[in-house]
Amino acid sequence: MKRAAFCTPFCIAIAAAATACQAAPEFSGQVRPQWIDQQPNDAGPLAQAVAVQPGIAALPASGATLETELRASGHGLSFVGTLQQQRLEGDRLRSHAWVNELFGSADAGGWQFSAGKKIVGWDVGYGFRPNDVVEQETRRTLLSVTAEGRPLLMAEHFDASTAWSFVLVNPGKPRDQRGAEEPALAARVYQRDGAVDWHGFVRYGAHTGASVGAAAAWVASESVELHASLRMLARADTLASDAPAAALLRANPWQSASVSRPVQALVGGTWTNDAQVSLLAEAWWDGSALSDAQWDDWAARNRALASLLGTPAPSSAIAGNLAWQASAFGASTNLRRTNLFARLSWQHDKWQPALDVLYTPADRGRVVTGAIGWQGDRVRVDAGLRIYGGPSDALLAQLPARRIGFVAATWSF
Amino acid sequence: MKKIALFAAVAIAASGAFAQDIPTLLKAADKYRMSSDNMQVETQISVFNTDGSPDKERRYTVFAQAKHQSLVLMQSPAERGQKVLMLGDDFWLLMPGSQRPLRITPMQKLLGDASTGDIATMSWAEDYGGSIAGEERCGEPEQACVHLSLNAARKGVTYQRIELWLGKARHEPVKADLYVQSDKLAKQARFVMDKTTAPTAVTAMLLRDQLTNKKETQVRYLNRKEHTVPEAWLNPMFLARNPALE
Repeated sequence: MKRAAFCTPFCIAIAAAATACQAAPEFSGQVRPQWIDQQPNDAGPLAQAVAVQPGIAALPASGATLETELRASGHGLSFVGTLQQQRLEGDRLRSHAWVNELFGSADAGGWQFSAGKKIVGWDVGYGFRPNDVVEQETRRTLLSVTAEGRPLLMAEHFDASTAWSFVLVNPGKPRDQRGAEEPALAARVYQRDGAVDWHGFVRYGAHTGASVGAAAAWVASESVELHASLRMLARADTLASDAPAAALLRANPWQSASVSRPVQALVGGTWTNDAQVSLLAEAWWDGSALSDAQWDDWAARNRALASLLGTPAPSSAIAGNLAWQASAFGASTNLRRTNLFARLSWQHDKWQPALDVLYTPADRGRVVTGAIGWQGDRVRVDAGLRIYGGPSDALLAQLPARRIGFVAATWSF
Repeated sequence: MKKIALFAAVAIAASGAFAQDIPTLLKAADKYRMSSDNMQVETQISVFNTDGSPDKERRYTVFAQAKHQSLVLMQSPAERGQKVLMLGDDFWLLMPGSQRPLRITPMQKLLGDASTGDIATMSWAEDYGGSIAGEERCGEPEQACVHLSLNAARKGVTYQRIELWLGKARHEPVKADLYVQSDKLAKQARFVMDKTTAPTAVTAMLLRDQLTNKKETQVRYLNRKEHTVPEAWLNPMFLARNPALE
């Protein structure tokens, strides 16, 4: 069943490509060796669990990765694939390969059709994109990476200033798939109105139901751009726990759940001067994130579990229950509902330094990332450091990693 | 006294006659870069350090269309897949990794060694008005030139003011001083023609950065052909279409 569902868009892609007449094939790609140095946190439930029983959970590890990305297009087909070889400390060499994109395109009757695995990125924000309802791209990554597309069928219509897009994403996947894997119908209408871009969105997920959204980007002056995005959902996937504070359980209490009628909203702007110094500021609300009350219960259970140490309760059970508490970090895209983000960057000749901060006012947690890039004709070098911090009870200060350093060189061909 | 008054009257009359000629002069100059309203131009940018050593090289496919509409496709390995769409005073950028067209401000149009404006804008007649500052000797080999002082007729152009020298006989562009919004001299341009006698086309534009690094940028027009793109290509959301448009 899964294979058939996966195959369908690709069969249509090949059929579509067969009818398309495009230019000669083009090939390109890049090779990127990189080193990631991760310092595990010594605070938080995962660190406590490992302290009680070493090895009970995997901590963030440092290591080297080699990624080779190949791109080919022509005759109505597009392909992007990645081969990754990774050697993390204490582990063997592991190789993975995946298809980022493989789709066919064709035109008929003024409409553009695509079928296959494709990246379809929507919405206007940088740090958070509530209306990126098809790709649901991971934001604020350390390095700019090519996303992995979604299997889909898409029809689009363009005129000079309006665009319509209709997407059936993850067709044939089980209805209970979560997040970006959920089968869904989505549509976008775009309207250009002078200095303003308007976007309207609807999505109907197989089990989360309907959502509607709107977004706008406005170039207010030579140097200022403002943007905003709003999405209202019938339901959103999340994780929830109903475990009593001090109870030792035999299974992970954090189970799939849904939150009803959440709202997601973002406002932001970019200012750039003629020296190419750019400041981006954004604030967003994510009603699908766990509530302050849920995080208070989470913290109370962490404390209660830790207080069982030294009692007759088996330490392995305490460690296991603490490790499960880290599941809550994956409940939604954002840890806290209110988030503030700022990014200062500078494009100077071949150099691109940048500094950004994500701040969660609810617990004064923060993530600070400093990075610098150098771009040559074929080689790009990136290096940077990300530090998670804040008061000891801040969520961002209790994540599995405390600090991540990276250096990468990208050779393009 | 009578002679001075007569000279002044002739000068005023002459300057009035020149002022009426500005659009005609600019249209004539534009023909050396844009022989048609809708063009496809393969462009190569080579940047040289102050000691003459090569610094970087980029390739672009530019669809320069009527009504201030341009689509730039980056073709170099370091930038392949990036696209910039310019519709009058409005600009969009597409990065290949995300396939999401992004609205950008005029300031974000890469004010680097060769801005997107340098690459995508190949006409002055629709964007500038001004007056004739006088007649001077200019160029190599030196020739009689008409010196024009031009001011932007609309916002969104890369350069707010241009001092432009055209050959007096054929009105081909010879050199230009390019000023940004703050009226600082940003770049000095020299134009290389296909033939020294009876030139028909600009083959290269040499830009000397005067704001920051004093580097020289050579903009070479490798190939030009008339090409009108479909209306949909100039829709910002169409930038995400793959394979690369054509």
